Amino acid sequence: MPAKSIDAELFNARVPSGRRWLLWFLYKVLWRTVFGLVIGLRYVWGKTPHPDGPVIYIANHNSHLDAMSLMTIVPSHRIHLTHSVAAQDFFGRSGFRSWSMKNLVNAVLISRSKEDRDVDPIELLDAMLRQGHSLILFPEGTRGVPGVMADFKRGVGHLASRHPDIPVIPVYLDGLYRNLPKGRTLIVPFGGTLVMGDPLSFPAGTSVDAITEKAQSAIESMAADLKNENKLPPTDSP
Amino acid sequence: MNKLIDAWGMNAEVQWVIFIILCILVFSSVAWNTWNFLKPGKLVKELLVRTRSWWIMCACFIVTTLAHPAVTHIGLAFLSFALLREMYPLLKLDQRERNVVLLCYAVIPVQYTLAYLGMTTLFLAFIPVFMFVVIPFMLVIRGETQGIVRSIGLMPYSLVAWVYGMSHLALLFHLPEIPGFTAGPQGLLLYLIFLVGINDVLQFGWGKTIGQRAVLPKVSPNKTWEGLIGGVLSVTLIAVALRFLTPLEAWEAAFTGFCVAVAGFMGDAIASGIKRDLGIKNSGNAIPGHGGYLDRLDGFSAAAAPFFHLIYFFGVTAAG
Repeated sequence: MPAKSIDAELFNARVPSGRRWLLWFLYKVLWRTVFGLVIGLRYVWGKTPHPDGPVIYIANHNSHLDAMSLMTIVPSHRIHLTHSVAAQDFFGRSGFRSWSMKNLVNAVLISRSKEDRDVDPIELLDAMLRQGHSLILFPEGTRGVPGVMADFKRGVGHLASRHPDIPVIPVYLDGLYRNLPKGRTLIVPFGGTLVMGDPLSFPAGTSVDAITEKAQSAIESMAADLKNENKLPPTDSP
Repeated sequence: MNKLIDAWGMNAEVQWVIFIILCILVFSSVAWNTWNFLKPGKLVKELLVRTRSWWIMCACFIVTTLAHPAVTHIGLAFLSFALLREMYPLLKLDQRERNVVLLCYAVIPVQYTLAYLGMTTLFLAFIPVFMFVVIPFMLVIRGETQGIVRSIGLMPYSLVAWVYGMSHLALLFHLPEIPGFTAGPQGLLLYLIFLVGINDVLQFGWGKTIGQRAVLPKVSPNKTWEGLIGGVLSVTLIAVALRFLTPLEAWEAAFTGFCVAVAGFMGDAIASGIKRDLGIKNSGNAIPGHGGYLDRLDGFSAAAAPFFHLIYFFGVTAAG
């Protein structure tokens, strides 16, 4: 088996046009209908229109549905160029899993541990952004505790600091973990909200930690806004 | 009564009520837009958003009602499903009782299938008799009894309030033949939709214009005695005026309209109480200007079963 290289991985990430239409149908038609009619996901769109070129989407992560819901907000013409970044050790565990992650989710699998990898994931994702791909990142790194947001890992900071021209779109996902919690396989409809934030851009030279911190606080403030939106004002009660 | 458009398949009564609904919508859209043009303000903005949502809701209701009865059943079943799905996360039934929640969802297609097949006796008993035992039992066999009293109360309540009540509208398709009654189940359905909708609008309107004294100050400060009485009286009159959609005499229609208005108010008040306890303004955001499904359908689901039984009593039982 030849040693893995970035070029080989990039070649792997290219999407044939047949799969492009499959992805479009799966996410823009099928999953969009499931989210709208069955799960009852509410979409709250950002004020600015979606940027045209490559984008880094970041979101909080509690459920396998998170990546599916993010794929439904990607513009149709970029669906085949948008890749969720997923963990090799979990999603690459069986042949079927890694096949479906590649073909049905359009994911790139990266290794979370330093020991068993030939390619630095940051270098690979960096090269993909350079080639015009978009990425979906869950900077918490794992689905974690339901409804609780963990501190962000620095991957998003590294990528955004190398690409000051690529906007980072923060997305806050509320309540999707109720529909499909960690460790369950059955989806039970419980609704939820997807809040798409306005794109963040970081001037060249912003430090990795500063970007990571800003990205996290952007999603945290979206979470707080959503929580307060439907609260009964205390003055309302006589 | 003559048809407005001869070529259309729907009967004359249904054509007329749709014509009236369209007139009201056009009138209010023109009125609010003019008002907004002359003197923009917060209230008129809200009225405009609400009217836009009424257009969409009326379009959905009318199309679903006039389509094949199977489509009407599916539409009503979806509304029941949307109500449960909206309320369960708010009621915090999420994590541990997922399987029982799924069972509650599964009750909906069964209930509406019973209605579609016209199995009235089983339909009437299925939720309040059988599911009242099965669902608590399913909660018990999980083996976890902590907090179970709450779920045993909430789940059957949610089914009765938002599935059982609403599903009575599907039973309107199985009324026995009533001599001299030509509007059909579609007419009856539109009659109720019209009365409940106009009841909400008029209680809101009377309350906003002359409302002074709150009925339930601790539950819903926006509901006033003036709004309630004005709404109930106007809906009673409208019910008499629109009785061509029903097999009812004038006084029977007045009584039905009165009951629908009062039941609508009761459903509204119950939903307000639930929302206040949960500390939320609206049950959701599905309908711009109105809130969630429950905010719009609270009166509807409370008035549906009384309406069916009144029609059945006056149209079938009392008429012999």
